Amino acid sequence: MSHLVVALAGNPNCGKTTLFNALTGARHHVGNWPGVTVEKRSGAFEAEEGLRLEAVDLPGTYSLSAKSEDERIAGHFVSQGKVDLILNVLDASNLERNLFLTTQLLELGKPMVFVLNMVDDAERKGITFDRAGLETLLGGPVIATVGNREEGIAELKAAIASVAKGRDPRVRDWSREASGHGPGDYGHDIEGELVKLQTELARDEKLAASVPNRWLALQLLENSKEAHALVAASSARQAIEAQLHKSLAFLEKHLGADGQTLVAEQRYGFAHGLVKEMVKTDTPSGETPTQRLDGLLTHRYLGIPIFVAILTMVYVLSFVLGKYPQDWIGDAFKTMGDALGAKLPPGELTSLLVDGVIPGVSAVIVFLPVIMILMGCISFLEDTGYMARAAFIMDRVMHLMGLHGKSFIPLIMGSGCNVPAIQATRTIESKTDRLITILVTPLVSCSARLQVYIVIAGTFFTPIKAGLAIVAMHFLGLGLAMLMGRLLRSTLFSAETAPFVMELPPYRLPVAKTTAIHMWEKGSIFLKRAGTTIFAGATLVWFMSRYPGIANREWSAELLRNQQTVQALQIPQAEKDEQLAELHLAHESRIVNTSLAARFGRVLEPTLRPILDPDHTRPEAWKDVIALTAGFVAKEIVVSTMGVIHGASDEPKEGEKLSPLQVALRDHAGLTPLTALAFMVFILIYTPCIGTVIMIQRETGSWAWAFFTIVYGSVLGWLLSWGTVVVGRMMGMR
Amino acid sequence: MTQDQGVPLSSLQPGQEGEVLGLHAQGPIRQRLLEMGFIRGAHLKVEKLAPLGDPMELIIKGYHLSLRREESSCILVALTA
Ligand SMILES: Nc1nc2c(ncn2[C@@H]2O[C@H](COP(=O)(O)OP(=O)(O)OP(=O)(O)O)[C@@H](O)[C@H]2O)c(=O)[nH]1
Ligand SMILES: [Mg+2]
Repeated sequence: MSHLVVALAGNPNCGKTTLFNALTGARHHVGNWPGVTVEKRSGAFEAEEGLRLEAVDLPGTYSLSAKSEDERIAGHFVSQGKVDLILNVLDASNLERNLFLTTQLLELGKPMVFVLNMVDDAERKGITFDRAGLETLLGGPVIATVGNREEGIAELKAAIASVAKGRDPRVRDWSREASGHGPGDYGHDIEGELVKLQTELARDEKLAASVPNRWLALQLLENSKEAHALVAASSARQAIEAQLHKSLAFLEKHLGADGQTLVAEQRYGFAHGLVKEMVKTDTPSGETPTQRLDGLLTHRYLGIPIFVAILTMVYVLSFVLGKYPQDWIGDAFKTMGDALGAKLPPGELTSLLVDGVIPGVSAVIVFLPVIMILMGCISFLEDTGYMARAAFIMDRVMHLMGLHGKSFIPLIMGSGCNVPAIQATRTIESKTDRLITILVTPLVSCSARLQVYIVIAGTFFTPIKAGLAIVAMHFLGLGLAMLMGRLLRSTLFSAETAPFVMELPPYRLPVAKTTAIHMWEKGSIFLKRAGTTIFAGATLVWFMSRYPGIANREWSAELLRNQQTVQALQIPQAEKDEQLAELHLAHESRIVNTSLAARFGRVLEPTLRPILDPDHTRPEAWKDVIALTAGFVAKEIVVSTMGVIHGASDEPKEGEKLSPLQVALRDHAGLTPLTALAFMVFILIYTPCIGTVIMIQRETGSWAWAFFTIVYGSVLGWLLSWGTVVVGRMMGMR
Repeated sequence: MTQDQGVPLSSLQPGQEGEVLGLHAQGPIRQRLLEMGFIRGAHLKVEKLAPLGDPMELIIKGYHLSLRREESSCILVALTA
């Protein structure tokens, strides 16, 4: 059975999602709108006993003649989708601007219910409404609600039910009025042209049946893309366009402005008139709480330090506190793998489970804590209204980089982990700004890459120089992100302009439940959408670095024999453990160094020779490629992979400064300080990890962009590491 | 007041108020500004500038909005206070 569909439409931030959650409970489905990465929430609810409806939460929009992706979706859905009833959510504390959209919605001629949400805020501002009067003028029930406290929801459901059943006395049938159309009169001249346009539009019966003529005529005068597209596909295209041309010329001549301006002025005229008649404002004089708070939070001198402090707090919560559950999960999976490996008979199936599946699942789940915490923080900042202030404060700098004020937080969070950082770009409304931010975020050095720098720099440089080199890597990453931002903006995306017209909403205290729902949504979306792909990729690469050695029975038997020999020795347990560990490492090392990944490394090594082996003195440079391949799964495992490759543990022995791995790298791997530095640069840039790549695919909706990131990263990484070698040599470094 | 007496919104200082005379923008920017309330005769007040000098915050139609210099310089206003 198909339900009637109720669409929640309204300006950004007016409380649609809050009301949606209140109506549907938390039982809803979050996905994307077809073909785009804008969230689509839908869920069923019972408006009254036995009357089930489907609610769809639309992206916030200021108008239907919109340009941005979000708005196009909202406009398209309410005008053409199978919407049976429009629930127009209005911010009661800011009614006039909210009514602008209402004038457009009314023209669609669908049954409507109006919600005056945020009446608590309105009350505080001393605003009171003549609800009955509004109902008459708007021609539908007007319900007052406080969404976050779920007040007025029962009444809202009742109104939806009675309108859905077509029995609400408050619904006006505009077609029977003298004017023949909804409220809002555009004045003699415009109305005259509208009639002419409608006559032409009516020639195409298919078109006339799909959307209301008056609405389409007005959208044409307003120069809406969507409307033009509809007309372009029409059989009466020429006649309509000719009439539109004539009408616009006529209006320009008689009213002295273009259609867009004239229609907008009339819409605001209607909104203003309505507010003047039906709304009483008795605003207490003096500053509002929001203005007082902004006096501090966007203060000329204090604004930036406070922003930095808040940013630091979010960072610490997500990546320092979030590291604990992350480590627990990682450890739990490792313990589980080890236990299973010890219990099950050795063989290919066991290794598939222990070396493939379990680490693969672990590689996905470890992201969860950070994702949920960071998304929780960001949702909190957004709901309080601070996010807009953060963008306000940082926009100058970000604009220089070809980005948006809202790009700053995701970029900085990228230094913790790129995966949630890319998810965090959802706060950026403009598609181009978001895309550019997503594409440059992988250049920001994440905490997993830091581990690699620490091991390498610690091996080849004095402590002070190592520190400098590590800091330099981070600045290099940020610098490159800026450069690439500008470059992408001026090349690939030069045609697109998104005006920076951002509302600064009043500060509000968010509801814990909303934040919790949001965290849950983000976590489960990640698991469902990205999880399986990351798992598959991680398992595949894992296996490449184990096969075929893992299946070699002789080697396994040899390991077992050697282990038994050691067990039988009459030496202290500690010594025994050490020897056992060494045996195991040697076994692993043998497997990895003969694996498919190693073969891949040998094939690829020549292309990397100018970086890793400029003097042709390192016959084993291909081993670095195995570590780099592992880095594609996760930068976290680069160090442990190097340990396995070189058959040396990455844990320093007691009383020693360098770990066996570091000693091996220094003495046997043939790396010099210069090639080590080049290796660090390459690790920074070459390719994002598989989690990031999949996230980019999810958030851009395209594999092309995901591959683009890998390719440009690899090319850029190669060039810069090569540059490091060349410049370093000129400076006499080795 | 005629059009040529107006000044671009970007030249206003915090605390100054004005009335919109017209828009010097085309395309999406123009549309966006119109639907946000920058129609002829609309009253606005500059609230403050961001710590780094750009964008600006202003009040129009009873709500707060931030605009970059790029956009605010397209808006012609007549000073009222
Ligand atoms: N004071 C008050 N706050 C509310 C009310 N309804 C919602 N809010 C808060 O307003 C903020 C925005 O609410 P959302 O539901 O996210 O708004 P939205 O319309 O979905 O926003 P977009 O999806 O960005 O267009 C949140 O912090 C809510 O908690 C209300 O009736 N009164
Ligand atoms: Mg929403």
